[in-house]
Amino acid sequence: MVSSSLPLYALCGPLAASALIFATPARRALLPLYETLHVASIASALAVAFKIAADVVGGETLSAYHDWFMVDALGVIFLGLIGIVGFLTGAYSLSYIRHDLHAGALDVKRAKLYYALFSLFLAMMLLSVMANNIIMMWVAIEATTLGSAFLVGIYGKKSSLEAAWKYVIICTVGVAFGLYGAVLAYANSVAVAGDHHAAILWTTLIEQAPHLDPTIVKLVFVFALIGFGTKVGLFPMHAWLPDAHSEAPSPVSALLSGVLLKCALLAVIRYYAVTVRAVGPDFPQMLLLLLGGLSIAVAAMLFYVQQDLKRKLAYSSVEHVGLMALGLGIGGPLGVGAALLHAINHSFAKALLFCGSGNVLMKYGVRDLGSVKGMLRSAPISGLLIMAGALALAGFPPFNVFVSEFLVFAAGVKGGHIWLMVICALFFTVTVGGLIQIISGSVLGKCPEGLAKGDVGFAALAPMVVLFGLVLAMGVAVPKPVAQLIQNASAIVTGAPSVALTAPWQIEAKAERSSAVAAAAPSQESQQ
Amino acid sequence: MLSFALVNTLAGFLIVTSQSVILAKTSKSAAKFYSLQSLLLVLIFLVLARLQGAHELYLWSATAFVTKVVLLPLVMLKFFGKLVDPNLEAESILPPAASVALSAAVVILCFVVVLGVSLPGSADIKPALAISLAHFFLGLVCIVTQRNILKQVFGYCLMENGSHLTLALLAPNAPELVEVGIATDAIFAVVVMGVLGTQIFRQLNTLDARALTTLKG
Repeated sequence: MVSSSLPLYALCGPLAASALIFATPARRALLPLYETLHVASIASALAVAFKIAADVVGGETLSAYHDWFMVDALGVIFLGLIGIVGFLTGAYSLSYIRHDLHAGALDVKRAKLYYALFSLFLAMMLLSVMANNIIMMWVAIEATTLGSAFLVGIYGKKSSLEAAWKYVIICTVGVAFGLYGAVLAYANSVAVAGDHHAAILWTTLIEQAPHLDPTIVKLVFVFALIGFGTKVGLFPMHAWLPDAHSEAPSPVSALLSGVLLKCALLAVIRYYAVTVRAVGPDFPQMLLLLLGGLSIAVAAMLFYVQQDLKRKLAYSSVEHVGLMALGLGIGGPLGVGAALLHAINHSFAKALLFCGSGNVLMKYGVRDLGSVKGMLRSAPISGLLIMAGALALAGFPPFNVFVSEFLVFAAGVKGGHIWLMVICALFFTVTVGGLIQIISGSVLGKCPEGLAKGDVGFAALAPMVVLFGLVLAMGVAVPKPVAQLIQNASAIVTGAPSVALTAPWQIEAKAERSSAVAAAAPSQESQQ
Repeated sequence: MLSFALVNTLAGFLIVTSQSVILAKTSKSAAKFYSLQSLLLVLIFLVLARLQGAHELYLWSATAFVTKVVLLPLVMLKFFGKLVDPNLEAESILPPAASVALSAAVVILCFVVVLGVSLPGSADIKPALAISLAHFFLGLVCIVTQRNILKQVFGYCLMENGSHLTLALLAPNAPELVEVGIATDAIFAVVVMGVLGTQIFRQLNTLDARALTTLKG
């Protein structure tokens, strides 16, 4: 591990911006100041995330503050997601919040609160993915709930307060299970490692895992899966998710679905890595397959019947985190790698669509799919972007979600779970039907009479175009640095040599992969 | 005479106080029972610190005294004192007797679970360990059975006290900063819930969890 101050710098920008915005009085004339601080915050987070990513791709693991902070290949994937999606949804917020101010949905006091909390929320997510101290990671994840609760309820309406309350209570109580798991893990780690300070670190837990008490490790995994799984949005702990995602301002919905769920997923993955080393893969994988499969089945059905665009997208998030859990449950380098790639791909696609739902709200003022018709005529660019996002989410090539979904299913078939994969694929077909409804009705359909023609402004469209570019680029080919990171990350999770993931049509890289598999096979044999 | 028996006895009294929190007629009295419970927790920390020679635990008991015996109850009284729903104070899904029976069942179950765990140095404190686990789940019972949304906040605090006691019993030498982090989170959680609860009371004029059912499906 290389000691570095970069992890601390990553927090400085958003924390400072948040404090400054909080300290500034709420006046309409100061709106440009809040916006400038906000842009500085999201830009600094993005810049430092990229700098750290560049170091970690080069094979380093960064640490800071007595190793309480640690960024390895696994953590940096999520750090990068926070940087990129945080920046783009933050940029999108500028025009969205201005629109809400003009429309009277927000007053300037709440707009100020929005920007201050946005940066705070970003900082807490950054802290959670860089934490090497298991209790600090819990503190950070709990703090993301507290930081974003008022973002969910920012409109102050009856429904948004209800959503915010459910969000806070369900997630706090859920994550309390995570604390209990962390406490048990730490207690056992102290008993084994002896050193009170080192025992609290992930790096120590991973090293000591084979010596931990198997019963306690199983308990810890169950507590962690219930606790952090609540925040991931896995069935049956997902109850907060559709309410919070649908009532929050659209850029926040994008951030919740695109990034927050994945931060909690990282916590689950870290416990998974320890559990696999301590008691073998069977126990954690069985639980993940069960929760993942149930999440997909239940969410697909609820997705189909929703008439509210944002609730529909929220259930789709439950379904896709279910698929990530399924990938982890299948296990092995391919399953874990595919789950990680799917976490990235889903983030971009879902952020694009939630921003799209923001455009729908700015244009139509409602989220009811029965009233939103003919987007392509009334707001052509938004319409096209939503169509592309919906096709991507449905799993059509050449978009990115296809690649990672394909890899998860391929890993499942290879791992001997053929019937489970067939059933899950059928549920995903139901989702395709629901997404086609969005395209045929809301995007194509007949434009209501009297609706003014003209798209939303450039400032709202530009971040979406970038997201669309990412969705397309990651679909055409998995970029080399990303493939490298995922390969290293899945090796961290499974503790076994890993393979490079590629899109099915990346022929050149495929040849490399088969040679990598061939190279890995003898070493596995020699270990046995 | 300080011994582990004293730790186990004090832990037993924790169950009595958490039952009082669950069954309290008003949020104000629940906050006072919570403060009393936290005081018991601080006493347990002090006894453990003396018995195990764990210096961190003295610091913990100081932090816990400031945050849980004084600050948190004050925050609760400040926010919840103004929120009174005359139709609903402490209305439970279960009658009090059933609630007590349920708690007893939880405690017995936790004893059975803890008996199966073997940790070095935990033999003397197994009853206290079982109670700390039970305490965690009693918090959950409070959240599930109470209709007053403020009781859900108290439920969370009970869960948090349970984890705190487990941490002190199993890892008495954990770094002090860890404990500060957990306590700070608890305070902010109660503040956030207090502000949201106040906004909900102003909007809906009730604290009934059954009123929060606009969002469905």
